[in-house]
Amino acid sequence: MSEEKIIDLKDEDELRQGRRDFLKHVCTSSAAALVLTTTPSEAVDSASNPDADATVAEYFQGHFLLMSEEEKLKAIARLEKRYSAKYMKKTTVANTPAPDGVLFGYALDIGKCIGCRRCVHACVKENNQSRNDPEVQWIQVMKMPKGNIAFTADQLDKGYPEKSEFGDYGVQVGGNAYKTAGLSTEDAQNYYNDELVPDKDFFYMPVQCQQCEKPPCVKACPVRATFRDHAGVVLIDYNWCIGCRMCQLACPYHARRFNWGEPNLPAEEMNPKTHYFGNRPRMRGVMEKCTFCAQRTREGRNPACQEACPVGARKFGNLLDPNSDVRQVLATKRVFRFKEEAGTYPKFFYYIG
Amino acid sequence: MDFQYKSPTFVSIVLCAILVAGMSAFNSAHSAEVKPAETQNAQPVTDCFESRIGYSSVTRVENANPKYGYPNVKCSQSTGAVLWWADPFEGTIPMGDMPEISDDTRGDFANAVVKPRQPQLMYFNMGPNGCESCHEGKTVRYPKDTKPRLIGMHQDIVENSLKLMHGRGALWCLNCHSANHRNNLIDRQGNLLSFNQPQKLCGGCHGDIYIDWRAGIHGKRIGSWATGSKKRWWVCTECHNPHTVQVARFNRLKPEPPPPLPRGMKNADYERAGEAKH
Repeated sequence: MSEEKIIDLKDEDELRQGRRDFLKHVCTSSAAALVLTTTPSEAVDSASNPDADATVAEYFQGHFLLMSEEEKLKAIARLEKRYSAKYMKKTTVANTPAPDGVLFGYALDIGKCIGCRRCVHACVKENNQSRNDPEVQWIQVMKMPKGNIAFTADQLDKGYPEKSEFGDYGVQVGGNAYKTAGLSTEDAQNYYNDELVPDKDFFYMPVQCQQCEKPPCVKACPVRATFRDHAGVVLIDYNWCIGCRMCQLACPYHARRFNWGEPNLPAEEMNPKTHYFGNRPRMRGVMEKCTFCAQRTREGRNPACQEACPVGARKFGNLLDPNSDVRQVLATKRVFRFKEEAGTYPKFFYYIG
Repeated sequence: MDFQYKSPTFVSIVLCAILVAGMSAFNSAHSAEVKPAETQNAQPVTDCFESRIGYSSVTRVENANPKYGYPNVKCSQSTGAVLWWADPFEGTIPMGDMPEISDDTRGDFANAVVKPRQPQLMYFNMGPNGCESCHEGKTVRYPKDTKPRLIGMHQDIVENSLKLMHGRGALWCLNCHSANHRNNLIDRQGNLLSFNQPQKLCGGCHGDIYIDWRAGIHGKRIGSWATGSKKRWWVCTECHNPHTVQVARFNRLKPEPPPPLPRGMKNADYERAGEAKH
């Protein structure tokens, strides 16, 4: 129940009355309608499929945060049963609440990152993404020319409004008027396929969900399927998501991925330790993204990408704890945030170690 | 408006019909069988390495975790690098005593564990007594001093012992390897150190890095994220080879495969158009 505190009572009423009451009202005569419309073939189908009752129940499932404890347990039991049958192994769907007094943060050393993409593939192994057709990856590693980053004062101060022959209208001319100051993603390569990394004269910058304090995706979601939990992580209720992809448009970091097809996850590669908001297998037509490995971090373990990094460029921890790795980095290194000008206040920091 | 008031039952029935049709479609989508993927044909890689090839090797054990049926590690198909640990503390031992330096770098060593380095060292495991199986004073006599001289052995570690380039010639083998106790390292004060604790030796000279490492900034730690809880630390020699720091300072690695190209795209050459500028 601790997660519910982020949605106040007013919102709760709004959400409840929005969809559930509509459905309730519509189906007051559901029994008659079912008899009228169920064709023989459908009747056979639902009889042969043991999951049929669960599917009906899931169809009327509410927003997970607004469910009672009993409803949550039922929903989780349904999912565990389905996943265990589908992937032929015992699957657990956890509902561990986010820890109190914690604000999750991440720091990544772009001076150390060598662009080996081990984080990308560790993430795929942990989080049950679709493996091929479509191949979904939550982390994108950008290979960028070394000139693309400049945080020196003379670089940043370039391009203040200058007086032109037309007068001083505050129009930026010269300097950085046609070039981004700070970090520029110009000429970034996402599909580089080098024999060996790191390549000379390039640096690498992995980008994943930045877990913004002011997440534009949450503002854009029309059904509040995506929300920010009290540990600061932006999560998605996959069952509540309607697949409108507004959040994908709103995100300035290209961090969200859409399941255009039925995810193709081989049973033996499936990770059976899952979390409701984390890595449980998704269905077609829902959005997914980095959750800081909710199934791991809520139980105290580091995210999979942090553990896979061979150069130790990734640091994860509690931003409220001054002794955590992340706070040590923030205190002693030169830190910046990606697309700071977007006003999203990411909790994902890049630093030059 | 009139229509709705006249026949609410009819509207309800039509909507429910749509709903039922949708549910059966939803149902069939969920009960569809898992399609065999291309990756299913490939056998999982069993001989894996952590961080770099040859520095620390791990063998994949199937069903190492009976609760979930996990293997102990999951490795990359293309490179063999360990990408995923079922248990981050598998095969670890306590780090051992660490000196307290100051408040800034007192380090979070209470529950620190490391993977022992000794089982990974080739020559250390050749005899029953480690390096002292040969270097016991008789088979190979103890050297009189630590002056550099040409060595006819261990050329796979250092090709020419007169050109050992750690510290650009300032240091030689016996400045770090104890002459009379070959199973140990020796620091500049003459203390014997285990091969499992190279950080105490390296930190003697590389103080700035050592301080960052103690604070959790340099190097890698896996396990729990919370301060004071159990973490597996990576020690210096799990990533750095002290014998080849000048000649092979940062050997490059083979990367993992790139993401799939968007549908309809043949190659990513457009990305490389900007390379000429730089």
